[in-house]
Amino acid sequence: MKLMIGLETTVGDPTGAWGALADGAEYFISIFQEGGAVLLSLMGGILPTLIVLLTAVNALVRLIGPEKIENLGVKASQPGLQWYPVRYMVLPLLAVFFLTNPMAYTMGRFLPEKYKPAFYDSAVSYVHPITGIFPHANPGELFVYLGIAAGIQTLGYGLGDLALRYLLVGLVVIFIRGIVTELITARMMARKGAAA
Amino acid sequence: MSGINAILVKVGRSVGGVVGTLYQAGRETVDTTIRNIIPFMAFISFIIGLVLTTGIGDWIANGIKGLASSLVGLLIVSVVCAIPILSPLLGPGAVIAQIVGTLLGVEIGRGTIPAQYSLPALFAINPQVGCDFIPVGLALGEAEPETVEVGVPAVLFSRLITGPLSVVIAYFASFGLYSSN
Repeated sequence: MKLMIGLETTVGDPTGAWGALADGAEYFISIFQEGGAVLLSLMGGILPTLIVLLTAVNALVRLIGPEKIENLGVKASQPGLQWYPVRYMVLPLLAVFFLTNPMAYTMGRFLPEKYKPAFYDSAVSYVHPITGIFPHANPGELFVYLGIAAGIQTLGYGLGDLALRYLLVGLVVIFIRGIVTELITARMMARKGAAA
Repeated sequence: MSGINAILVKVGRSVGGVVGTLYQAGRETVDTTIRNIIPFMAFISFIIGLVLTTGIGDWIANGIKGLASSLVGLLIVSVVCAIPILSPLLGPGAVIAQIVGTLLGVEIGRGTIPAQYSLPALFAINPQVGCDFIPVGLALGEAEPETVEVGVPAVLFSRLITGPLSVVIAYFASFGLYSSN
């Protein structure tokens, strides 16, 4: 920086071995300056929104009371085709929303043994798709979605479209996953029963 | 007089309850933010800084360009993540998925990967979700030990089918997402 205009105050860059070291030091610190800029943009950008959103949803969940969904767990344990969407779509969605990761899996206690692995599979597969819109459900693992969403933001597009599609496709995927795992579990249990 | 008193007590109690709940929710939020969210942000920021500043970004871009910007490539990623021996190793804390997600995000931002691939990519990098946690998750659901014995392999094998399938579904669901037409 020139402090006195008109005077030759330019300092030459250090040369030789010392210059190489100095360049190395600058390069080293530039990595962390870039990281610091990213951290500041995260803290200034999404963090305040996230905190307010988490507070609101946490308060809502407390006011409603998570125990309300237990009745649904009892209903979902029934056999029959019409209970498949309840067991592997509605129940995981509500369990993950109200009980959050990892307490959502406790809803499995209302189901018969043969449905438990499938319900776990279904519920655990929803703890990331839900974070696009409801980050309170899994605040420790936000960057599966946020990492990719950051790229979309860099391009200047809105995130609503991606978040909504992630949420809905996630529902379809956990439904299929529940059914497939239930079938595999049934087959393995039968084989084990035959062997015993 | 006692009627008014009763009303006052009732109103005061319910308002106090709601305010207390809100305050407790705020406290819980700040707690999670400091314990879970900010540490991960710091870690992710370091990785992004490293990728953007050094040549690692270009190196990764060359490596994943073919994989992450075609359906076949994403299917390969999802099958690898769903291999029953690998999936429990890749699972813990979703750390791997979060790092890969962040790296893909950087490449999407740089234009290496088309934006509409963001949706199938979200599923391709995550067929291993919860595979490390199956016995604990089942125990939380009060499952018998026999169920756990069957449940662990059942979920792991199911992922081999549903992992790639989820990528295909997401691929078809991504039509019209961030594309110009």
